[in-house]
Formats: sequence, structure tokens, C-alpha cells
Amino acid sequence: MSLVSGPGRGGITDDRLPHELRLFVDKHVCYIQSLDTRKDELEYWLTEHLRLSGLYWGLTALHLLGRPDGLPRNEVLDFVMSCMHDNGGFGAAPGHDAHMLYTISAVQILATLDAFGELEERVGGGRQKIGQYIASLQDTTTGTFAGDEWGETDTRFLYGALNALSLLGLLDLVNINQAVEHIQECANFDGGYGTSPGAESHAGQIFTCVAALSIAGRLDLVDRDKLGGWLSERQLKNGGLNGRPEKKEDVCYSWWVASSLAMIGRLHWIDAEKLTKFILNCQDPELGGFADRPGNMVDVFHTVFGIAGLSLVKYAGLVEVDPVYCMPLAVTKRALGKLK
Amino acid sequence: MASHGVRRVTANQVRTEQARQKELQQITEYKDLVDLVNTKCSYKIAEIQYTIEVLALTTKLLTENPEYYTIWNHRRRILQQLFTPPSASDSSIPPSADKSVLDFVSDDLRFTFSLLKQFPKCYWIWNHRRWALKAGESLLQTSIARQLWLAEFELVGKMLRADSRNFHAWSYRRFVVAQLERIPASSDMTGSSTDADKSMVEAEFAYTTKMIKTNLSNFSAWHNRSKLIPRLLDQRQADEIARRKMFDNELSQIDVAINTDPWDQSIWYYHQFLMSTLSPTNPRDSAIMLELNNHDRLRYYEQEIGGIRDILEDETDCKWIYESLLQYAPFYLEIEGGTKMFTTLDMREWLSQLRRLDPLRKGRWDDLERSLSL
Repeated sequence: MSLVSGPGRGGITDDRLPHELRLFVDKHVCYIQSLDTRKDELEYWLTEHLRLSGLYWGLTALHLLGRPDGLPRNEVLDFVMSCMHDNGGFGAAPGHDAHMLYTISAVQILATLDAFGELEERVGGGRQKIGQYIASLQDTTTGTFAGDEWGETDTRFLYGALNALSLLGLLDLVNINQAVEHIQECANFDGGYGTSPGAESHAGQIFTCVAALSIAGRLDLVDRDKLGGWLSERQLKNGGLNGRPEKKEDVCYSWWVASSLAMIGRLHWIDAEKLTKFILNCQDPELGGFADRPGNMVDVFHTVFGIAGLSLVKYAGLVEVDPVYCMPLAVTKRALGKLK
Repeated sequence: MASHGVRRVTANQVRTEQARQKELQQITEYKDLVDLVNTKCSYKIAEIQYTIEVLALTTKLLTENPEYYTIWNHRRRILQQLFTPPSASDSSIPPSADKSVLDFVSDDLRFTFSLLKQFPKCYWIWNHRRWALKAGESLLQTSIARQLWLAEFELVGKMLRADSRNFHAWSYRRFVVAQLERIPASSDMTGSSTDADKSMVEAEFAYTTKMIKTNLSNFSAWHNRSKLIPRLLDQRQADEIARRKMFDNELSQIDVAINTDPWDQSIWYYHQFLMSTLSPTNPRDSAIMLELNNHDRLRYYEQEIGGIRDILEDETDCKWIYESLLQYAPFYLEIEGGTKMFTTLDMREWLSQLRRLDPLRKGRWDDLERSLSL
């Protein structure tokens, strides 16, 4: 069981949107379910390197839509396990090399399915193995994390490591203080954070740094008013959010910006109603799914971040999302609660 | 990563049977190529074929799909094998081996450049380029390696001309600078060159000036400038007079820009950076002036608040003006409790203008009203 992550085929375009904007839940469920049946499209094969993350995006979207059984649980589990390597890491799909990004997606799916027990049944000591793989990617001189053995480092990987290790209950495998120090080195005068020390503030990286600090219990290091001010300026007149000054709006920033604002208690600094309208306008009302902007091709990446954004601003009928993990709050509470 | 900016096709544009057959044919060809590369590079089988021919196959596949990270990994494993032929593996690399390693590295630089032009935001391509240069450096003469790193400025320049905000390109530029600052300019200078000799901070500062002159709205360039100035001053071993001169020059430059176009938020952010360096809690590594007293601070706050207020004579509908006034006012008040420059009434007026011009951020203005006790 896996999902294609590329663009969808078209429904109607934005000029024909119904006057009464609403969330087309059933359409989105069908869209996500249909993603594994599109093997006659080249895009399905060209996006194989995203498959496991695509599955996390689709599964999370379904849970937030209140349809946790929308995908067959055993098939999902089989696919996840088929991506696992002997070293404890996961690749994007069977035959793809292990990488931090897909290892995080695997852990998030296992947590969502409450399947850490089954992981141990299938792979003895599986939880420890995954934890060791992630821990092995920490750079012991700087505290940051690499994506894989080839050494690319980025605050995305640092966040992913803390996300997955906390869900596994294995944060003690890494040097948290050093990781926190590294995040502080990525901080800029505007209150934001970049990919690495010296890099420009970017809403996606701000999400990773603030969420990592949240997991480490060090949100006290964030200048909430300064960062909140910068993040709130990401909202444009059309209600959508951009990722940096003078850039265009994009549905995925509905998540990166709004979740960061939520973590620092400043979500009320943007207009939730206008954001809701913008996100709903990015739906394909006929065939389901969300695009980056109204009228564009949908994909499962923008679908989950659109729905998660709506959940953050408490759109009626959606399951509550955890701004730190982009998973249902009930799931992270269960996973983290079990560890206490 | 996902489809950005691709228009949705409408339902009546669904592909014809002919188009479907063509796509199925493309899928078969693509999958055959994937299977071929993966079979030849699989490390589970005994006879791995790390040859020039398989390298060419990865070129073909990555041209079709540069996001396929495992194929980049295969390519690096093949190159590692080709870099060290068995005959030379146990001794130091003879000078004649330089050429072939250099050829491989140069090929990969050309290859990734052509891909970056099509896919300027693909992490894996940038990543591979870094690896190829680093791997080459460990096998090549220092002078040759240095030449390769230096040539990267041409690539970065081209990428930033195409998109002056591409943060991959800016990050890569900083990375290249760090490598060149690490490698001595010539091999016989090893150990004798000082940090200042190797530093490129002056050249990089000049580059941000050039980029800003082309387009004032380039916040990426302003950002880089904010990181370079403190280093530049330390490296020049600037005294307080020189530091103050730098600060005043930057401030007057940005004041002119604000007066020209108060709607440009990049400029306001840089103004905020300069003003943030006045704070007593400003960290040393982002300091411009080192010996500030409250009298100096007050003078700068007065000068800037006054200057910004003057813009209101011509422009009353630009929210950045009111936002900045309310941002700097508390710093001024902290030092000068007498509010000689402005009154609480003025601040209330600025806030009500902000509410009028920027209703999206109403919640923020509510909080601001409370925190300023207005």
C-alpha cells in the first residue's frame, strides 16, 4: 500500500467554485484513496522517491478528516516495513537507500497506527535499531544532523530526529543540549531561523527549529514577539501565507507559519477566517485534493498541509492537530503518554 | 517535492487513448532504465558493476529524474570506485592520476550545472555538487582544487541572476566562501597566511552592495549583509570611529531607500537590523558599534523616529511607518521617560492607523495596545 505524491488530474478550475465555500471531505478521502491506483501515470513512477512520506501525508490527512480507516492498516504496515533497512533506517520505497526523511515518516506512520508493538514482532529490537540509526546521524562537533551517510546537514533533519526519537521514547540517545545550541546559531536578528548558521530566515526552517525547541523543552529561547511579528507579516491580502518577505503565498505555508505561531502562542496574530477562505479556494472541488494556489494541480503534500492548517484554525468537524508533530493531537498524546 | 505553480487541467482535457498509450510506453522505458541501474549498482549482489558505462546510465536516469536520491548515491559509489583504481589504491596518488579525477569532477560539475538550470531548487543536485568538489579536493593538488572552488562563483552568479532570492544558491555561496577561506591561496603559504589573508568577507560585502543596487527589494542580500558587517569590522580591526562611520553610512543608505519606497518590507527589515544593534543586549557577534552609551542610543532613536515621522507628510497610508514608530518608541521611552518627542496620544494615533490599514493582524495590535499600556 503506497501513494503517489505527484500532481493530480484536473477537476474544475477556480472560476467555477461554488459560492458557498466548504471543505469537500468525501472528495479528499477519495482522492487520497485513489493515489495508489494510478500506476498508468508516469508521475506515479517519477515520484517513487517520495512514496513513504506520501503515505504519511495521506494517512495524516485522513486522520485529520476523521477517516482513520480510510487506508487498509495491514497493507500500510506491510509497505512501511518493506522500506526498512538492516541499519534501522528507512528508504522512500523498497530498494531506495535509507534516509532521515523517510525514517521520520516511517516512525510517524507507526505512531499513528499505534504499531510499535508490531514493529518489535516483525523486527526484534526494531525500535532501538531505528533510534540508533537516527542517533548515528548527529554531527558530534556541531550538534546538527545529517540526512544520511553522505553528510548533507539541515535544520530539517535536526527537527526530524527529535520528532522521531521523542515518539520512540529514545531522546536520550542524542545530545539534546548540543542540538539546541546549534538551533541558536541558526537564529537571525528578525527572530527567525535558517537552514544552517548564516542562512536567511525561512518559514519552513522556522517551523523545524521552533518545533525542535518545543520537543527539547526550550521554547524559552524564542523571542516570541519578534518572531510572531515576522510570521504574522507572512499573511497577504488574499489571506494566504508566504514563506519569506516579498514571496508568493502557498498552501503549505498555511502549516509552516500557522503551526509556528501556534507553538509560540501567537496564532491570533493572523486572520484565521481569511486564511480558511484561501485554503478552501485551493481545493479541487470535483476530484479532491489541495493545490499550492487556487486553480493549480493538487498533490498529497499540499493536501495534508492544507487540511492541517484548517485544523489549526479549528475548522468545524476536523480532528485537532498537534502543531509540533503535524499528527493528530490524540495520537501524539497517546504515543508520548505511553512513555511516561 | 510537489507540484508548485502548475495549472490544473480541466476535466474535458483528460488524456486521449493515444496519449495514454504513449504514457504507458514512457513508463515502461523509464522503469526499464531504473531496473537496469539498480541491478548493476545493487550492493546485495556479488558482482557490482561500478563502471564508466553504468555511470553514464545514472546520468541518463538522473536527467529524467534528478529527485531520485538513491541514484545520486549510486553515482557517488561508482565515482569513489573510479577515483581509486586498484593499482594506485595503496600508494599516494601519482600526479598522472590528477587528470582522470579532474575529468570526472569536471564532468559532474557540468552535468549538475545543466540540471540546476532546469531544477534550481532541487536539494539533491546542490548536494551532489558539494560532494563532487569535496571528494575531488581530497585527491587533487590544492591549487587545482582551489581553482575549482573559485570557479563556483560563476555558477552561483548565474543562479542568482536567474532568481536573486534562491536560498539554495545563497547557502551554496556561503559554503563555497567557507571552503575557500579554509584552503590557503597557494600551497607554499600553508601555515603562514593569516585569517585575514584568506577571508573573503570584503569581497562578499561588495557583492551584497552590487545585488542591492540592482534591486533594493532583495532581502536575501540585505540578510547576508547583516551577517557580514560585524565580521568585516572585526577583521579590519576597526576602531570605534570606523565602526560608527559604517553604521551611519548603512543607516543613511537605508533611510534614503525608505523615503524612496516605504512600501518595501525588505528595507524595513534591514532598518530593524541596524536598530537592533543599538540594544545593550545585542550579541557581540552581531555588533557594529562597541562603545555605545544611552546618550548615543537616544540620539539615534530620535533621529530615526523623527525621520520616519517626516515620511508621514507625504504618505499616510503605509502601515510600515506606523509599525516601525511603535516598534522603536518603547526603546526611546526606556531611556527618555519624559517623552519629549512624542506623546501617548501620538502612539494611540499610530496604533489606530495600524488598525485601519492592517486589519488582518488585529490580534497583534490588540496585544500591542496592552503591552504598551495604551
